[in-house]
Amino acid sequence: MKKNKGMIVLFLAPAVLFFLVIFVYPILRTALMTFFKIEGVTDAIGLWQFVGLENYIKLLNTSLFRTAMANLGKIWLMGGAIVLSLSLLFGVIITSGIRFKKFFRAVIYLPNIVSAVALATMWLQYVYNPQYGLFKTFFSAIGLDAIANIPWTDGDHKFMALLIAYCFGMVGYHMLIWTSGIERISPDYYEAAYIDGAHKIHQFRYITLPLLKGVFKTNVTMWSVSCVGFFVWSQLFSTVTAETSTITPMVYMYMQMFGAGNTMTERNAGLAAAIGVVLSICVVIVFTLSNVLLKDDDLEF
Amino acid sequence: MKFLKNKFAAVNWKKEARLLPGYIIVTAWVVFTFVLLGWVVCASFSTTQEIFAGEATKLPTGLHFENYMKAWKYSNVSEFFMNSLGYSIVSCIALIVVCAPAAYVLARYTFLGNKLIQTGFASAMGIPVIMIILPLFGIISQMGVLQDVTSNKVVLVLLYIGINVPYTTIFLTTFFANISRTYEEAAAIDGCPPTKTFWQIMFPMAQSGLVTVTIFNFINIWNEYFISLIIASRNETKPVAVGLYGMINSMKYTGDWSGMFAAVVIVFLPTFILYLFLSEKIIGGVTGGIKG
Repeated sequence: MKKNKGMIVLFLAPAVLFFLVIFVYPILRTALMTFFKIEGVTDAIGLWQFVGLENYIKLLNTSLFRTAMANLGKIWLMGGAIVLSLSLLFGVIITSGIRFKKFFRAVIYLPNIVSAVALATMWLQYVYNPQYGLFKTFFSAIGLDAIANIPWTDGDHKFMALLIAYCFGMVGYHMLIWTSGIERISPDYYEAAYIDGAHKIHQFRYITLPLLKGVFKTNVTMWSVSCVGFFVWSQLFSTVTAETSTITPMVYMYMQMFGAGNTMTERNAGLAAAIGVVLSICVVIVFTLSNVLLKDDDLEF
Repeated sequence: MKFLKNKFAAVNWKKEARLLPGYIIVTAWVVFTFVLLGWVVCASFSTTQEIFAGEATKLPTGLHFENYMKAWKYSNVSEFFMNSLGYSIVSCIALIVVCAPAAYVLARYTFLGNKLIQTGFASAMGIPVIMIILPLFGIISQMGVLQDVTSNKVVLVLLYIGINVPYTTIFLTTFFANISRTYEEAAAIDGCPPTKTFWQIMFPMAQSGLVTVTIFNFINIWNEYFISLIIASRNETKPVAVGLYGMINSMKYTGDWSGMFAAVVIVFLPTFILYLFLSEKIIGGVTGGIKG
């Protein structure tokens, strides 16, 4: 096709400009900020005070931040195990040739389009309510009083409650990623396996799973990206500021920078920026690890 | 009758029986989802006393529409709602105007930096918002725009657009790449300039992709929380998600549970209605944006 430089530049300019202003410049500046002590976010670079790696060291020595990272790790690992296995199960069921496939798929994905604030409120104010809540009424109706009487929103159970509610909202999204992978596998494989006498479970173990490696990687990446941004749920589930059972790095950073009454540490935007960099590094590590551990085979399908 | 009989015979009962465990699992999940949403809708029509008496679903005193009236009028929900609607619509239109031409050029022309831009956009989708918010907030508060309602709104819309540029562009690039080149070749032979070819031929042809990505952007922007929380600090500029959070907090003191559930319903209703009619397109959009 004939090149048309003027058109290329004109068509690209607005999108690239947005990208530079909203992503590239802030990322570079945030990375730079981590090496300085900065009184206010609006301070000009001239007012920044170089401190080297001190922000990172300080951050890793702050017990509240460590708690936040530990919580995030737990959400990532436990939630990831729950969400990815449950969504895989649903993906397999949905593609197994059941009736009303579209209906089931649509309803399982539904929580993802509901505002997280609304969804978290439904869980908190309805499902977990100790008086009229769904868990309370359901489990006492079937005689499991031990579960019915769990005070879901008290300090000891809050993290579990948060995790369950969050997983419920995320399963649908990951199910869609799984199904798109499963549907790309040619039915010939299953036919051949069926003729050779492999039953459903064997087919799943030896055909579906190995061919889903690439999709698994996508799932892990997406899950990690959404975990790192874990904020709304935590904010809604904690009744007091800096509640240790539900705090995540992003909540910690928000309290540091924008929250009222940040008495826990000194005002330092460099410290908050360091949190961003630590989280970004986590995403990169997970991404690299999953690429190395789950090498794409030459398998094409 | 005969048709029905055939249809009945067509059901492979052996196969269905084999799938039974699968049916049970997904049905249980679906029932739970419906109970959750259904109860909240019922509660929004009942009264706080009924909710605490466990009678929210029985609605013994009829439908209380006044919960909605109260939430809409006195709790600022109407203001938040209109803000969100404005933000979402303006941002969605702007995103198409900004991203469709860029995506087209990225999909069709080879030039220095094409690959770089695409890689950059793709990686931006994995960047945590915490990595960009500090400088952005710095610039914005330095410009002093947060004091003025209108400029505060403009800045918010610009942020919503910028945040969604990478996803929208990548999505549309894949879409344009899949449209045959023959149309442009024919137009070029007829002497149609490339810019005109894009707007008059390719843009309309990409309609289904544009619609899908717009629904997606609409839902994302409607539900966006973190950026709005930081940039929209006053009631006049708050979108629904942030407004709802404030309402829930104040509700703890006023004890108006049914009003709160009404507000929850108002917040999720727009995206829910979109989903009701366009779920297939939305589901296609989820997997279209990611490469497995």
